[in-house]
Amino acid sequence: MDGPAVEIEYLRKRYGGFEALAGVSLHVPRGSVFGLLGPNGAGKSTLVKSLLTIVRPSECRGRMLGEPIGHRKTLRRVGYLPEHARFPEYLTGREVIGYSAGLAGVPRSTTRERTARLLERVGMAEWGDKKLGTYSKGMRQRVGLAQALVNEPDIVFLDEPTDGVDPEGRIEIRKMIEGMRAEGRTVFVNSHLLAEVEQVADQVAILAKGRVIETGTVAQLTRRGCRYEVRTVGPVPPGIREGLEREGLEVKGDLITIQADNAVPVQPVIDLLRSAGIAIREIREAKLSLEDIFLQAVQAGKEAT
Amino acid sequence: MRAAFAILWDSFQLLRARRLFWVALMISMFVALMYASIGFNEKGMSILFGWKQVDSEFLQKGKPEAAAFYTMLFTDIIARFWLAWFAIGLALISTANIFPEFLAEGSIGISVSKPVGRIRLFLLKYLGGLLFVALQVGLFTLIVFLSVGLRLGEWNFTLFWAVPVVTFVFSLVYVVAVWVGVWTKSTLAALLAAGLVWGVSLLAQWTESFFYQTAYLLPESGMKVDFKTGEATTGNADVERSNAMATAHETSKAVTSPLPKTRDCTLYLKRLIRFPERDSLLSGVTFDMLLSGQLPDKKMTGAMRRMEDRHSAWYVFGTSAAFEIVVLGLAGWIFVRRDY
Repeated sequence: MDGPAVEIEYLRKRYGGFEALAGVSLHVPRGSVFGLLGPNGAGKSTLVKSLLTIVRPSECRGRMLGEPIGHRKTLRRVGYLPEHARFPEYLTGREVIGYSAGLAGVPRSTTRERTARLLERVGMAEWGDKKLGTYSKGMRQRVGLAQALVNEPDIVFLDEPTDGVDPEGRIEIRKMIEGMRAEGRTVFVNSHLLAEVEQVADQVAILAKGRVIETGTVAQLTRRGCRYEVRTVGPVPPGIREGLEREGLEVKGDLITIQADNAVPVQPVIDLLRSAGIAIREIREAKLSLEDIFLQAVQAGKEAT
Repeated sequence: MRAAFAILWDSFQLLRARRLFWVALMISMFVALMYASIGFNEKGMSILFGWKQVDSEFLQKGKPEAAAFYTMLFTDIIARFWLAWFAIGLALISTANIFPEFLAEGSIGISVSKPVGRIRLFLLKYLGGLLFVALQVGLFTLIVFLSVGLRLGEWNFTLFWAVPVVTFVFSLVYVVAVWVGVWTKSTLAALLAAGLVWGVSLLAQWTESFFYQTAYLLPESGMKVDFKTGEATTGNADVERSNAMATAHETSKAVTSPLPKTRDCTLYLKRLIRFPERDSLLSGVTFDMLLSGQLPDKKMTGAMRRMEDRHSAWYVFGTSAAFEIVVLGLAGWIFVRRDY
C-alpha cells in the first residue's frame, strides 16, 4: 500500500484551558523510523494517544495507514507500547502477549506460534511462563515490545521504549527497532533521549509546547550546523587572524572555525596558514548533534513565545 | 468474539490470582459440604456424614418433615445469609479494584488502543467482574443440587435459580463500585460507595417490610399491637388496619422503588426454587418460627405467604434492573468519553 504511514493535517487537543497540541501537522513515511522529540510536557504522548484513540482530539484531520485517524479497524494493524507500561502482575509474559493478541483479533492458532517466536526474539523465551511480578523493569519492557508486535503491525508506536532500561538493554531495543524497519514496519518512537533517536531514526520532529518546531531527516537537520575547525600549533598570529576575521571567519586562540557544508572553503585557509609557515595540528568536520538542534529549536521556540 | 474471550479469560485469570477468591471459594465449599453432610436415618438426623447423631421424632428418613427441613435450610438460611451477605460482601471486596487498576496509567492504553470498541471493552470487563460470584455460586449450587438429589431423591433444577439471582444481586452492588471506580479511579471510594448504596437500599427495604407488617401482616394475622405500651395481643378476630401505617407503607415503597432490591431479590429466590408440596407438619413454617418454637397458625401462615408474595417480579427485578442500567450507563458514559 502506498502513501505515508501517518499524515496529520491538523491536530489540536485542549484539556480545559490548557492546549496540549496546538494544531500539529506531521508526515511519517512508510517503512521508516520516525522519532518524535520534545521536552517533558511538550505533548508527545498526547499526540501518540490521539492517533491511537486513547485520548479524543479536540480537532483532528488526517489519515493513518490510509484510513481516517480514529478508524477503529485500522488499529488492528497498529502496535503500541505505552510509556510506563503496566501489565497485570498475575499474568505470565506469554499471557500478556496472548491478551494483546486476543484484543487485536489475532486467531488463537496463530497466537501460540507468534508468541513463542516473539519471546525468542526479545530474549525472554526462558521467562515466558513466569509471572510478571518476578520480572525486572527491562524484562517487562521486552515483553511490552513483544506484545506490541504480536499482531504483526504495519506501524508500531513506542512511547519512551528505553525508559528505565540499562545500557545493554537499550542497545538491544535499538537493534529491535532496526529489525522492525528491516521487516518493512513503520516505527514511531517517542523519546526525550536524543542520542538514541539520532542513532536509529530516519526522520525526526521536534515538538515543544504542543507545536512542531522542526522536522526533517536527521541528516538534513544536523547538516544545517555543519562547520570545519582548523587548529594550529600555538595561537594564530595577529596579522593572519585579522585577515581571516575580515573574511568572516571566527578565530579563537588556535582555533579557526569555517561555516560550510563542504570542504572547498577550507582549502584557501590551509594554503594561507602553510604559506605563513604556521603548522596545522588538526582539521575536523564538525556537525551539530541532534541535541544541539533540539536545544536551539526549543530555545528559539521559547524566545518566539 | 476472540477479543471478548480474551477479556473474559483475563478476568478469570485476575480472579484466580486473588487470594480472597480462593478463601471465599474454600468457605463456600465448606458451607456446601456441611450442608451435604446432613443426612437422615431411622432415628433422626445425622451431621458431618454420620459423625454426630441428633435423634428426632419428625426428622427421620422418608418423612416429609425431614425433606421440608432440608430444603428450608437452603432457602431460609444458606441462600438468605451466606449467599446474600457473606458471598456478596467478599466478592465486592475482591472486585472493587478491578476498574481502578484497569484504568491506571500505562495499563488502560494497551486495551483502548486495540480495535475493540470502548463500550464493548467496558461491558466485557464488567461482566468479567461478575464471574467472581457466578463461579462461586455455580459450584456451591451444584453441590447443594447433588446433596438434595442424593438425600431426598429430588433432582430439583430450580435450585440453579440461585446462580443468576445471586449474581444479579451482586451486580446491583458491584455496578455502583464500577461507576465510582471509573469516575474516581479509587478502590476505596468505589468500595465505600457500593457499601453505602447497599446499606441505604437495605434500610429502605427493611423499612418497607416493617411498615407492611404493621399495616397488613399484623391485622391479617389477628395480632394487635399497642405501640405506646409495646403490648401485643393475638387471636383477635377483627383487627382494623391503620390507615396511617398503610400510607407510611405506600410512601416507603415509593421511596424504595428506584433503589436496588438486594434483599427482596434474595427473598424472591424462595419463590423461584420450587419444592413439591409436602403434607408436612412444617408446612407454612419458616425457619425463624422453627427456631422460636412457634407453631404454624393458619391465619398467620396465610398472612406470611401474602407478605412474601407481595412484590411482583417487575417490582423486585425490573426496578432493580432499571437502577443497574442507569448506573451502568453512567459508568459506561464516563469510560467511553474519558481521555486516558
